[in-house]
Amino acid sequence: MDASLLTIQPGASEPIYRQIVEQLRRLIAGGQLTHGELLPSVRDVAGFHAINPMTVSRAYGIAEGEGLVERLRGKGMAVIALRKTAQSESQRLALLEPQLQALARHAHELELPAASVTRRLAKLLGE
Amino acid sequence: MEAVLHETETRMAPLAASGLIHAYEGRNVLTGVDLVLEPGSVLGLIGRNGAGKSTLIRAMLGLFKPLAGTATVFGEPALTLSDDAKARIAYVPQQPDALAWLSAKQMLDFIGRFYPRWDKNFAASALERWQIQPNKLLAKLSPGERQRVDLIRALASQPDLLVLDEPAAALDPVARRELLREVALRAGESGTTVLFSTHIVSDLERVASDVAFLHQGALLMRCGVDETKERYARLWLPGHISAAAPAHSLSRRHHDDGSLSLVVERDAQGRWPEATTLPGARVDALGLEDLFVEIAE
Repeated sequence: MDASLLTIQPGASEPIYRQIVEQLRRLIAGGQLTHGELLPSVRDVAGFHAINPMTVSRAYGIAEGEGLVERLRGKGMAVIALRKTAQSESQRLALLEPQLQALARHAHELELPAASVTRRLAKLLGE
Repeated sequence: MEAVLHETETRMAPLAASGLIHAYEGRNVLTGVDLVLEPGSVLGLIGRNGAGKSTLIRAMLGLFKPLAGTATVFGEPALTLSDDAKARIAYVPQQPDALAWLSAKQMLDFIGRFYPRWDKNFAASALERWQIQPNKLLAKLSPGERQRVDLIRALASQPDLLVLDEPAAALDPVARRELLREVALRAGESGTTVLFSTHIVSDLERVASDVAFLHQGALLMRCGVDETKERYARLWLPGHISAAAPAHSLSRRHHDDGSLSLVVERDAQGRWPEATTLPGARVDALGLEDLFVEIAE
């Protein structure tokens, strides 16, 4: 994996370490990162994005704690990817929860009826 | 016990200030600032124009004598630093003006002799990357070019303590990113302690481990960058429930329509104030820039 695969938004209200963990979670769930693939070194990520290496270490530590990656001695961090079938639909859906909640909140603020929002969403999803 | 530990940390800290007070022409510039930097930390100092950022930096480095308070650098009184301590510090002011009769290359060659860890290759390659004509006199460079040369001087000395006053002003986005990369990697890998002031909050969010808000000569807040983002939020309450607003908040703004915006903080258990759960209440996460604007107004 290349450090440029990560997108860092320093101005976002979400701390950078959480942005990294979240993206790793998604890249792994989506199959873009496969089992055994090595993450870029802390130095590469920090250097490419001009961010503090401690932030990257913190993110990797959390990913390790969650069982997303494992530390291989002398090699760095390797992805632990469950086989696609092992990720149930509800697990994958759970990854979308923050976006869905934000969408629901916006729709509510705009006083849009649920039916028209879901209709539009279904169209975007190609149904 | 804790007090003793704290005292030891302060004594050994790369940079520490206690009770700094200063005034210019009857106007208070610093009104009692305490600030300690841990080794290897990167502290971003933000504040509005005239908040006292440059004065604070200069006082912490012992470049003038404040009306009251003390500052230490690596445990030594800032006003009487030994040569050893000075050789471990690099400071880049907003408007460098020393040695103007030398060319950039002459100045770097000359200065380099005083630093045991001078990185000659870095100095030479950075001059090229940052587009400085090496043989042009410093006096003839633009203010931006002048500050770039000074940044090169500071980084090439491989300091233990790097202090930068508004370094971003002189750099284009590519060079700025390169400077941030240097700062981040040196702090993370060589344990360099960094203090920098800036207007560009996103720079601070990239590399800083800690942030300090200076407002009207006082520190409004000093916190870890990640922690700040997770701990504070903006709460908006519509007019009919604005009376339920929590008594404690960092800022409070009444709007013409009767609604109310507050900056609220999680309690020790990580919970938001009760008012955030009221129907109609709205909680928005805050980036550092928004947070600063909210509390500095």
